[in-house]
Amino acid sequence: MTSIPEFMTSKHRECDELFTEAEAAAAKADWSLALTKWQSFALELTKHFGQEEDILFPKFEQATGMTAGPTQVMRMEHQQMRALVQDLDNALAAQDKDEYLGLSETLMVMMQQHNMKEEMMLYPMMEQNVADGEQIIAQFQAS
Amino acid sequence: MNINGLSFNALPPIDLPFRFFLTAPIFIILCAFLILFSGEALWLSRWQPSMLALTHGFTLGFLTMVMMGALLQLLPVIGGVGIVKPRLVVYFCHSTLVIGTLCLMANFIWPSTLLAISSLIFLVCSIGVYFFALAWVLVKKLSQGDSIIGFRLAMSALFIVLLLGAGLLSQSIGFISINGMGKMLTNNHALFGLAGWGSLLIISVSFQVIPMFHVAPSFPKLISRYLPSSLFILLIIAFFQPVFVVPIIVLIHGVFALSLLLVISKRKRKIPDSTIRFWQLAALTLIGLNIFYFTPNKYLSPLVSQQKTLLITAIYLYFYLIAVIQGMLLKILPFLSYTHLQQKCLINFSAMQVIPHMHNFLNKKHGQWLFYLHIMTGMVLFYTLVIPSAYWLLSLLLLIEFSWLLYLMIKAMRLYFLTLTKINSFVNE
Repeated sequence: MTSIPEFMTSKHRECDELFTEAEAAAAKADWSLALTKWQSFALELTKHFGQEEDILFPKFEQATGMTAGPTQVMRMEHQQMRALVQDLDNALAAQDKDEYLGLSETLMVMMQQHNMKEEMMLYPMMEQNVADGEQIIAQFQAS
Repeated sequence: MNINGLSFNALPPIDLPFRFFLTAPIFIILCAFLILFSGEALWLSRWQPSMLALTHGFTLGFLTMVMMGALLQLLPVIGGVGIVKPRLVVYFCHSTLVIGTLCLMANFIWPSTLLAISSLIFLVCSIGVYFFALAWVLVKKLSQGDSIIGFRLAMSALFIVLLLGAGLLSQSIGFISINGMGKMLTNNHALFGLAGWGSLLIISVSFQVIPMFHVAPSFPKLISRYLPSSLFILLIIAFFQPVFVVPIIVLIHGVFALSLLLVISKRKRKIPDSTIRFWQLAALTLIGLNIFYFTPNKYLSPLVSQQKTLLITAIYLYFYLIAVIQGMLLKILPFLSYTHLQQKCLINFSAMQVIPHMHNFLNKKHGQWLFYLHIMTGMVLFYTLVIPSAYWLLSLLLLIEFSWLLYLMIKAMRLYFLTLTKINSFVNE
């Protein structure tokens, strides 16, 4: 059985790898490869955000009664990252290398400080407070 | 884990960390003038009054200044909470640190009881209040990871540096007597400052930021779990057994450097980046320092061996501690500007379109120039320690490098305020 921190952290790393491959391709102006990798990244990211916002966060809020705390901030940061993903979509469509690399650096730092908060605090807190964590992760793995 | 009071969003207002960052290069610019007006005499030994003023300008005025600002920012990310009453604490700690450091530097050059007492009071108040404000957070709130343990150790080291420094200063004005222990306490004060407060914080930060920002594997568990605490314990033992322990402290830095290079070499994100080059420079420096430290003096030129301690300290400070701090600033400055502006768009999300990305806040090429300037200045620093007549060139290069850093900071801040005006007009529409 996989725990919430293990599974969700491994998903962060998978997203990081796809992100890096897309960025490396854009840096070499290999736009078709960049687009393929970027779309895979965006798909994974959307799925990951969905799993958190629709299932894990509500479970945590229910278990702890904390609705205006960490999960609210995480939701807000998801929104901010979605806006950056949109900007990156546009830079990719325009094949604007400098714009793409500037935005990807921004999303990278934004994403990592967000991940740090989740991995170091929120996921361990979820493991402690959400009773059926491993079953939820088993469902994520099956989906 | 204590989850009460966690907010995840306790970012201190941007002017608080920037206050520390903007002041730091000004201290090195001041040091550049000190070098220029002190002439060759400054380089005769580490005990020269102007040399003591210079080292404290670098360590308190630059290193501690930036690290105090950066920790304010890091705490909410790694600990989930910020300090209580951040504005009050920062106004107090920043202003007293600036005045205290200036008084201390002046006291080394023109010793006087008034200056010594002033520096003692201001520095004890500044670092003491900062220490307790952070300790309150670090003790109460726990997060996962080895970094937080390193932060606690680094803060403890800062407290020990302060106690030793305050003791030495008190002794110089006759408040206390430390018969025959002056040199030992001074050595430990320097060792705890550089290898404790400075290095422990950098090592702990590296465990977190290198794997994350450069998509690299984690540091070996043995290193991230045990290296910071081993270093701290060795620093304590160094009070009693310096001859035996200092070589082990040097070796431990070599081990850290090798693991740092290994992790960096395995990174997946390989786009050109000045921050990673600063980290690589730091790691290579620590390996070079190991070779230099363990080379018997008979294989070194007499000019070099005479100044060995000073050379090792200067290289450690300049090519390791300051190098990493500058590399980190290249990431922190644009990110803080960006993220604070993003927070302002929460009322009107469409205003986000006017926020420039990180490279607009800090041009990548400009970061590269800072790196090259740093290498040049560092090499001339090494040369000046052996051939003091080159002091004017060092002074000039320090002036250029740190004016450039200051310019980059002011440029980022300017763009921040210009964008803020645009966002406000968007929100008011």
